[in-house]
Amino acid sequence: MSAPILQVSQLTKRFGSLVALNNVSLEIRAGEIFSIIGPNGAGKTTLFFNIIGLQKPDSGRVLFNGTDITGKPPHTICDLGITCTFQVPRAFANMTVEEAVRVGAYKRYRGREVQRKVDEVLRICELEEYRHQRCCDMGLAPLRRVELARALATEPTLLLLDEAGAGLNPSELAGLMDILRRLNEEKRITLCIVEHVMQMVMGLAQRIVVLDYGEVIAEGTPQEISTNPRVIEAYLGKGAVC
Amino acid sequence: MRRTREGLNRLLLAALLGVALLLPIAVRTDQYTLVLLTTILLYGVLATAWNVIGGLAGQLDLAAGAYLGLGAFTAGTLLIRLNVSPWLGMVLGGLVAVGFAVLIGYPLFRFGVKEVWYALSSAALVEVLRVTFLIWSQVGGPVERYLPYHEWSFYHLRFATYMPFYYIMLGLLALALLVNHWIRHSKLGYYLMALGENEEAAEVLGVNTQKCKLQALAIYAFLVGVTGSIYACMYGFIHPNFFSGPMSIEVAILGIVGGMGITYGPVMAAILLVSVREFLRANLGGQLEGLYLVVYATVLILIALFRPQGLGPMLRQAYDRLLSRLVKE
Amino acid sequence: MTDTLLQNLINGALTGCIYALIALGLSLIFGVMNVVNFAHGDFVMLSMYLTFWIGLWAGADAVFTPLLTFPALFLIGVLAYYALIDRTLRQKYVTQIAVTVGLMTFLRALTQLVWKAQPRALPYSIIQGNIQVGPYTILASRLVSAVVSVLAIAGVYLFLSRTWAGRAIRAASDDLDAASLLGVPYRQTYALAFGLGSALTAIAGGLLMTFQQVDPTMGVRFGLLSWCVLAMAGLGSIPGLLISGIIVGAAEAVGMSLWDPRARSLIVYLLFILVLWLRPRGLFGRK
Repeated sequence: MSAPILQVSQLTKRFGSLVALNNVSLEIRAGEIFSIIGPNGAGKTTLFFNIIGLQKPDSGRVLFNGTDITGKPPHTICDLGITCTFQVPRAFANMTVEEAVRVGAYKRYRGREVQRKVDEVLRICELEEYRHQRCCDMGLAPLRRVELARALATEPTLLLLDEAGAGLNPSELAGLMDILRRLNEEKRITLCIVEHVMQMVMGLAQRIVVLDYGEVIAEGTPQEISTNPRVIEAYLGKGAVC
Repeated sequence: MRRTREGLNRLLLAALLGVALLLPIAVRTDQYTLVLLTTILLYGVLATAWNVIGGLAGQLDLAAGAYLGLGAFTAGTLLIRLNVSPWLGMVLGGLVAVGFAVLIGYPLFRFGVKEVWYALSSAALVEVLRVTFLIWSQVGGPVERYLPYHEWSFYHLRFATYMPFYYIMLGLLALALLVNHWIRHSKLGYYLMALGENEEAAEVLGVNTQKCKLQALAIYAFLVGVTGSIYACMYGFIHPNFFSGPMSIEVAILGIVGGMGITYGPVMAAILLVSVREFLRANLGGQLEGLYLVVYATVLILIALFRPQGLGPMLRQAYDRLLSRLVKE
Repeated sequence: MTDTLLQNLINGALTGCIYALIALGLSLIFGVMNVVNFAHGDFVMLSMYLTFWIGLWAGADAVFTPLLTFPALFLIGVLAYYALIDRTLRQKYVTQIAVTVGLMTFLRALTQLVWKAQPRALPYSIIQGNIQVGPYTILASRLVSAVVSVLAIAGVYLFLSRTWAGRAIRAASDDLDAASLLGVPYRQTYALAFGLGSALTAIAGGLLMTFQQVDPTMGVRFGLLSWCVLAMAGLGSIPGLLISGIIVGAAEAVGMSLWDPRARSLIVYLLFILVLWLRPRGLFGRK
């Protein structure tokens, strides 16, 4: 077992009287593909925002490679090596694909190196043909790859993906999974996938944590999760019928 | 193909520069036209500077008048009280504007004031300064304060003709355009464009949005502050009405009409709209006070409704079409 | 000293009720459709001129002109919505601001064209005289204005909570998509909100003309003033608007009496900037 890259301990986040996250603890290990699943409103995106720094938790700690990053602003967390993609793509609408990726590439490169990084990432994400297209003119599937590309350009060691598969058709999904698997194997990027699409998680993740009503209700391998009665009750119960 | 196109681009730029340089010589005795041309350039500089904070960073700043006034009062007061040359005064004026911008901008960005609230608080700022200088009788007050009169003095930036101001303003415009161009193709420019589109997305890509916005605000304030110092010298007095709300709004409008984030857009808009405005004012203003503004406002509404991307992209298309026709032949 | 201060406070608070009424119109527009209307203050200014005009030509008293100007401003608001605002709903807020700034400039220039730049005032109003309360003098016109404003605000409150159209407006402001699913036609609802928001300025305009004059630059002042009240109140609280209006009015008056008459707007804007820094959601806001 490799060392933990991210440790979340007893994270709690409230919105008024609503407890969105209740004492959530989890560990992501270096090099793995980790997944957080749960039904709608389980607090997945909230957990995610609290890790990445877009929201500040009410209590609890987040450690990245042993450094406390709780409540740090997202750009500092990005400097350290964590970045993310969003559930609903937040495209830089009026920028071209190349320009959008450039924003990420400036994180670790200067001068000519920036363009080299951009080219590399565009190749990995199969976006070379879209290079000069404006983001607002693009379909959902390539747009999700643009989100991925600009995140990759910051050279994260841990990449969080919030429902990256939502709204994609099976072949687009397969393409995306392929890219993600390659990133994990070749670039050794630790992935944390927040998902609703079960197929993607089962085929990709090595370990899964299940959230329900802001609490961790199960943790284990895909096989363990898919047979866990609490998970079936909370989550797959509905899915199993369909 | 590419080479000829670049050649033509350069040719056009050289031709425009040539016209800009020779224009005042053609009308040298006509002071009214000289003032008009200088005014167009002035608005061109302000709108180009605005493009940094408004166009690139997407912050709808309505405080151009605040920085203009600060620049004017700094250089003006230094000249009146201590006989400091406006050449130094304009740099100090720019710096005072920057200092004030940072003082105001830091808490604004720190507390996440954005969009309409940023626009409104910046608009309020202009009025706050205007009234403050109106009340502050040691420096401002309701009466114009005239700069020391000189027939022709390079040191005091006083001339018997407006021609030198035209060239100074032209130089400033060139500087503003260069700064814009440089930012647009630098890390800061990409960061500003990104945060202008979506702040959270920019943040997770490692953009320190607060810092970048503050930098953009400072650059804009400096350019406007310097312009304000020259503005004071050109008119030969300072007055709290230099902190002008309508003028601030007009600068933002020029930036929007020109096309947000497009380097040369605001200048185009300034040339077009300010000359339309002045033409209307000269021809209709006499009998019917306000008619020129009615026409001006209508033009503005029509452009905003039907060309929300601004005139920049439209002109670009026309230019590209023209070029491809020329190159083909 | 304390007496003058209190006297000013009372006057300011009474005027503040009118500010609240103006801000209520803006809050209908901004709160419901999220449209940034920079021209709102100029609607107030327009109402004041219309009041002046009707008062002059028909000899009607400023208090009664809203009977005519209210429908007129409602109509102008609805027209402005369909002609201008409707097209900007899906645009960036910058475009919206550009359009409403255009409208603002237009209205200002138009009034300048018709009524020239000098200030105008109506010669008299039937509401005359003062009411003496202990050492304090209360101008009858201000008192009546404040009472009418509060009544109008209460009326809008009842309209929003009791009638179908009012509920439609509130539903659209909470969740447009859900409201459309339930059969609330968004266009008409928005047009209604914009019309009503503008029409409220007619009442305010009439009231203001009972004790002050009007000039074309006034629009900007009332515009910023109403945004300030709205920022302080936050969205969604009508009592909050009233309290904020009174605070702003009182602050203005205190600034004028303690410091300098010209500091009037200064106090308001400083207050505005402070509120934005410290309480971006306002003092009473729920959104």
